[in-house]
Amino acid sequence: MSNKTFMCILRSESGGCEQPSPSEMEIMYAQYQAWQNKFTKNILDMGNKLSDSGSVVRQDGVNDGPFIELKEVVGGYMTLTAATLDEAILVIKESPMVANAGVSVEIREISTP
Amino acid sequence: MSQAGLVEHVFRHEYGSLVASLLSRVGVHHVDAVEDAVQYALMQGLNFWPKNKAPTNPSAWLYKVALRKLLSEFRTNQRRHEILNQQPDLVNPASVELAPVPLSGEMSDAMLRMLFVACQQDIPLESQLVFTLKSLCGFSVKEIALRLFISEENVYKRFSRARKNLKSDPDVLDALTESDMIIRLPAVHAVVYLLFTEGYLSSHSDTAIRQDLCEEAIRLALMLLQSAIGKVPETCALLALMYFHLARLNGRQDETGALLLLEQQDRSRWNQTHMRQALQYLQQSAQGEHLSRYHVEANIAAQHGLAPSFSETPWENITESYELLERIAPSPLHRLNRAVAVAQWQGPKAGLQVLQDMELPKWLNRSYYWHAVQADLQYQSGEGELAKRSAQQAMQAAPTDTIKQLLQRRFKKWSLD
Repeated sequence: MSNKTFMCILRSESGGCEQPSPSEMEIMYAQYQAWQNKFTKNILDMGNKLSDSGSVVRQDGVNDGPFIELKEVVGGYMTLTAATLDEAILVIKESPMVANAGVSVEIREISTP
Repeated sequence: MSQAGLVEHVFRHEYGSLVASLLSRVGVHHVDAVEDAVQYALMQGLNFWPKNKAPTNPSAWLYKVALRKLLSEFRTNQRRHEILNQQPDLVNPASVELAPVPLSGEMSDAMLRMLFVACQQDIPLESQLVFTLKSLCGFSVKEIALRLFISEENVYKRFSRARKNLKSDPDVLDALTESDMIIRLPAVHAVVYLLFTEGYLSSHSDTAIRQDLCEEAIRLALMLLQSAIGKVPETCALLALMYFHLARLNGRQDETGALLLLEQQDRSRWNQTHMRQALQYLQQSAQGEHLSRYHVEANIAAQHGLAPSFSETPWENITESYELLERIAPSPLHRLNRAVAVAQWQGPKAGLQVLQDMELPKWLNRSYYWHAVQADLQYQSGEGELAKRSAQQAMQAAPTDTIKQLLQRRFKKWSLD
């Protein structure tokens, strides 16, 4: 069965979110590890954070900042492999990333001709 | 958070030792900047480690990241200061940058020194406790509020009080001498003891949350015992006392989380590993000239811990121990405990006798302990009416629902409610 590759884009509402405490961080870290161990086969690349500075280029000029909407910021990306979109959704649904309020993950198949 | 007892507290414990080491490097007055930098470093670890491999030495990794962040903050501030024509030399970045990452021994040394700095006389005890929990044990304001049953605002107030005090003297860490540390050792013991008591007595239904404070107290005491200053019999006695109580922690609640009286506890649920640790420390504590309250309390806890059943509890020994404790550390609470022990040993009337000529302080009159014990002893000596009144007062004073339920079950048995 040939697997498809998916690009996952993390968005979070900017600002207003309190920094986690050290004990919350250790719980998050443990959850991350458990999730990664469970889906080792699916996770191709844990990707990286995208930095705050960036620009959007449009025909009518360059807008400073990576903001698509004012409230949402693209925070990072990662790539997955899965047989179907549903499987990819399952992997992301179980991830600790979407556990936080205000975070959403967009999943797009990378189509290869 | 139910796993809290199982997770190794890497982030929380690194937080404390990083804050302490950086403070000892740049000075206690930079406590805000240091805490921000450490928080930043931990966040970096959280973001970076799952994606790559966690470094073999997380402490060193975090230390470097935190120090770099701190220095860049300082440089930004410095520029700001220069623009405002103020004192430019906040810190010399070059000298700090070159300094090597401290060894783990030095890190715990810094942590210990910080503990002694936090336990200075002009900081109130409650503020010492909050500062220790926040800056050295890595708890957030919210978590401290939850664990100490006070509002977040109150936690913040207590924390600011300690911080203000520490900031007023930038050299406080360097100035700390060995003799200061020896003088403050009892204060450090007191904070550790208080930390443990808060965990042990709180009636939070989540045992893991309560156990957190107990385990932190034990961790600090173990660190203390490994130091030249803290290696004294009192520290061993304190550890023995804490391990005896920790051993019984699991048995204090039934499956529904309701509190159980000693008589109802299933002794097979007591943790035998902790019991053995407790006994070892008790043995080690039996030296030197000075008999501390911790020695006596550890001894009482040992009598309970070693008794095979409730009916075999050596009440006579326990009574004597409470008498001794009252002499070393006078407190009406100790007298109240003695009354309970005497009642078990010589009957309820003898127990009431102990309390008869006692001056009752206001705070004790407001607590449920006093009224619950009175109700108990009065009922058993056939003073039904008096017992009923005491039971009502105890119910009114009960601070939490779990304690109310415990009292209710007890009083119901005598149809006093």
